[in-house]
Amino acid sequence: MIFRNRKLVYTAAAGLLLVVAFVLPSSLSLKGKGAVRGVMAPAERGTSGLGQRLSEAVSAIRGIGGAVEENRELSHELVRLQAELNKLGDVEIENLRLRRALDFHQSQALAMIPCDVISRNISGWWNAVRIGKGRADGIEENHAVISPDGLVGKTIEVSKHTSEVLLVSDPSFRVSAKIERANSFGLLRGEGANLKGQPMARIDFIDKDAEIRIGDDVVTSGLSGEGGVFPKGVQIGRVVKVHQNDSGLFQYAEIAPRATVSLLDYVFIVSTSSPKESP
Amino acid sequence: MKKRVLMFGGIVVGALVQLFLPAWPIFGGIKPPVLAAFALYYALHRSPRGMWIAVFWAALLHDGLDLGGFGPALIAFPIIGTLAHRVRLEIFVDGAVTQMIFGALGGMLAMLIAIVIYTVSGQRPFHLGFAFLRVVGSGVLGMATLPLVSLAMNKLESILPKRRGYGWQ
Repeated sequence: MIFRNRKLVYTAAAGLLLVVAFVLPSSLSLKGKGAVRGVMAPAERGTSGLGQRLSEAVSAIRGIGGAVEENRELSHELVRLQAELNKLGDVEIENLRLRRALDFHQSQALAMIPCDVISRNISGWWNAVRIGKGRADGIEENHAVISPDGLVGKTIEVSKHTSEVLLVSDPSFRVSAKIERANSFGLLRGEGANLKGQPMARIDFIDKDAEIRIGDDVVTSGLSGEGGVFPKGVQIGRVVKVHQNDSGLFQYAEIAPRATVSLLDYVFIVSTSSPKESP
Repeated sequence: MKKRVLMFGGIVVGALVQLFLPAWPIFGGIKPPVLAAFALYYALHRSPRGMWIAVFWAALLHDGLDLGGFGPALIAFPIIGTLAHRVRLEIFVDGAVTQMIFGALGGMLAMLIAIVIYTVSGQRPFHLGFAFLRVVGSGVLGMATLPLVSLAMNKLESILPKRRGYGWQ
């Protein structure tokens, strides 16, 4: 009987939708999204795998068959070696007291979980990609995502089998960064993409007296919190433009991120925990 | 039943297509509104019940696979669907020009609603120029998407085996 009163039904439906849009607790929303993503993940993985196989087939036809697997292994090795190199660089620069202070931090074993990128963001509103591993594989929120080129982003909205990676270029991405040559710190945030589709970022609150040059390398400072894992010294990008803040108290610089992610890429999640064993 | 299965499958494939299509930097980084086009197609071609099922399935997939809260598609698609469904008997639904106009309007309306929701909830920063670029871009991409979706679905539905009507039944 109540369903015959159309006005009431429409009002109730509209009210329900507004509640879902604005009032639904994020934990409940994430559970719903996790269910949808869990259902769609195999299809996404299959489509992404198909694309990968096609790409590999094209590579094999071009006469470089076998190089794909080798390339994957070399990339993993490259990431590991870059991490080693960064550590060695720090050892040279820092004095004994600082190294002692950092001993506790360095003693924590950072595991790297390799993941395939399975899809992009559906709407284009967010600079994000989805990876095919989640909580069941030991991934938590706010962990750094890196590739052989450098910092890719951080994990957000982790469900059981998938995780969203917020890319460095997203306007809501924030990380504490350091301009390596000037040894100057600042807060890096994403700036979206320009009209050519190239990702952009900017680093704020740089000391006004620091001498920043175009082309300077920007790396993670290792100071980022939010309960996440951001190793020190991971390449983010390079400075392309330097500006003075309107107040004159700080400088800010435009950054071109080094790591760009495509659907055929694989990335590494920096984690302190090892994957949970399945029962 | 077969048409219903095709509808569910078609919308899933539409979601995958939208996921894997690249974003268009010239239009503010948005993607072709494939799922909105599916919602519009079923609003123009089905009974109210079929329309609501398609609209909610498409909206659920869109918002479920997107970041942020549920909402933009769950609010936009029913509005687009209801408006299109109201006028479907007064227009030539399979006409290319009609579909281009509906595709453009649907894309723009969905984008406008998303902009309002994201701005009000503070999930995304608001820039007037960027918002304008995205609304125009959604219109252009929607104009191209709906006729393609419509063509594909009409072809697929036409090859479905027809139910035979026997004279004595």
